[in-house]
Amino acid sequence: MLRFILRRTLGAIAILLVISAVTFFLFYAIPRNPALLACGKGVCTQEQLAVVEHNLGIDKPVPQQYIEYMSGLFIGRDFPAGSCPAPCLGFSFRDNRPVLDTILDRLPTTVSLTVGGALVFLVLGLAFGMLAAARRGTLLDKTMSSTSLVLSSMQIYFLGPLALAVLVHNTQLLPQPQYVPISEDPWGWFQGLLLPWLVLSTIFTANYTRLSRATLIEQLQEDHVRTAKAKGMAPRTVFFRYAWRGSLIPIVTIFGIDIGSLFGGAMITEYTFSLHGLGRLAVESVTQSNLPMLMGVMLFAALMIVLFNIVIDACYALIDPRVRLD
Amino acid sequence: MSSEVQAAEGAPVGRSPGQLMWRRFRRDRTGVISACIVLFFFAIGLLAPVISWLYGKDPYTRYGQLEDGLLNEYGYPVKPNGGIDGEFWFGLEPGTGRDVLTELLYGIRTSLLIALAVTVLATLTAIVLGIAAGYLGGRWDYAISRLIDLLMAFPQQLFFVAFMPIIATLFIDPREETPTYVKVVSIVIVLWALGWMTLGRILRGATLALREREFIEAAKVSGASPWRIIRKELLPNVVSPMLVQATYMLPNFVTTAAALSFLGVGLTEPTPDWGRMFATAAEVYRSDITYMFFPGVSMVIFVVAFNLLGDSVRDAFDPKTVR
Repeated sequence: MLRFILRRTLGAIAILLVISAVTFFLFYAIPRNPALLACGKGVCTQEQLAVVEHNLGIDKPVPQQYIEYMSGLFIGRDFPAGSCPAPCLGFSFRDNRPVLDTILDRLPTTVSLTVGGALVFLVLGLAFGMLAAARRGTLLDKTMSSTSLVLSSMQIYFLGPLALAVLVHNTQLLPQPQYVPISEDPWGWFQGLLLPWLVLSTIFTANYTRLSRATLIEQLQEDHVRTAKAKGMAPRTVFFRYAWRGSLIPIVTIFGIDIGSLFGGAMITEYTFSLHGLGRLAVESVTQSNLPMLMGVMLFAALMIVLFNIVIDACYALIDPRVRLD
Repeated sequence: MSSEVQAAEGAPVGRSPGQLMWRRFRRDRTGVISACIVLFFFAIGLLAPVISWLYGKDPYTRYGQLEDGLLNEYGYPVKPNGGIDGEFWFGLEPGTGRDVLTELLYGIRTSLLIALAVTVLATLTAIVLGIAAGYLGGRWDYAISRLIDLLMAFPQQLFFVAFMPIIATLFIDPREETPTYVKVVSIVIVLWALGWMTLGRILRGATLALREREFIEAAKVSGASPWRIIRKELLPNVVSPMLVQATYMLPNFVTTAAALSFLGVGLTEPTPDWGRMFATAAEVYRSDITYMFFPGVSMVIFVVAFNLLGDSVRDAFDPKTVR
């Protein structure tokens, strides 16, 4: 186990290094002049441009900039506008503070949204998928399959405003979505996030229902399941101990990808419900051309994806005893 | 006489795999219906100028501001249900007073054009890199596989959103307004860059398995060039995973491009775009929810039809799959 963690961590660091280099290169070397981008559309005088250039530190060659950026992660950096203690993900000149501080401010919103939503869609999706697979071909299965097909084809930018209009503005069944820290007011936190959770998990539940139904049906036709049935094992035991367990591997894989990318910012959900999480931060940074902030959010999101990949690989060993971690 | 007829009927008929697939597909009612719906969307996208000419409106004219009595003082349609009437079949856009039907038609046209371009580019990239990795093996395989791993670890949505403005600077000075064609090209490039890996991986695996088969070896022994082997022996055998994956890819590109416009980093006013309509809808839904209805429902129908079509194409190629 220890060897596995060590090996995967080293691999993750390598991938993160490459991602950071590629992202940095794309941000700072591809545009003809990143300072022009950061300076914004319309008016940008020569003096302003010079200030931005100096602030971004792009009067130096790109490799040197990258080395300075990476060393900032370990020893921190000093900028004309202020200091950025290690680990320094960059310094945002729009609001004169280190990028990491802003990311950490926004993180609780994204985490609350993701954890709550994921809990709902994982439980419901697996349960519905199981029900549909167990009652395959019945009316229940057909209803659930077609409903989940339609719901999984919905988009958050359609379902979200629709739910807001119906549940919040017309009937006032739910309060206006907002983020209240759980430490301040747990009930308010729950109420404020209820609608985003519902909308996010509706689409994901539909996806997971389809996925878990399909993999379960595949598993139920495996030879070992037939053998277990033939030797007279109780159907319930066969279903859960053999088929269901086997169907978990692909689901865990997809779940790892989904939750990793959600932690990096559930962009459309946050944007739809005006929640100030990481995803919305990324969109704001794009519209304000805040390159250091974007770079920081990108790296943070990549870290989340890579981290959850490792967690998922460790989970395989729990589900499938044939998988060995070494 | 009768024995002759029987013999003729019983005689084996040679059918190519393509013909077999087509026969299986034709018998699949869901598949045929969804194919018709998909074709319908492409047809209205293609014929958008003709339809709007017959209908007598265009997606740019602000009818509500030109004529009195269409929009009220707050900019919302006077008539109920978003201003639907015999004149404006799908109603008027709040604020600008544009015609929703032509806006949607041209929006579908833009979205499908972008998605189609990305699908073609991504499929070609996947073919070249996937087959190169699988057929050449060794160092090539290692390099391409690591590239795929790396791109898969990229935060996709973030990448799309973050690189849109950067790609645009390749074409124009960032201080100027970005013209529409640059935006379209940027969307195509970012979606393409992260859109080919799944198919690339599938094709690499398929090629790897095919490379060891006897018919490839026979071709090699008889002196066929690698190019000929790839063209005549390998490619025909990977058509089915390619088609299936492409049918799943296209609706995905449509919804992702729409999400970009919704977030305000994709296509912007006044270019008609499916996704941009959701951005407008999200601003006006409190007072005029009808506006959201047409783009929303049509997109759900489109995606459902495409997914069902993908399933049917897969079943037609591989009758063993269970549903």
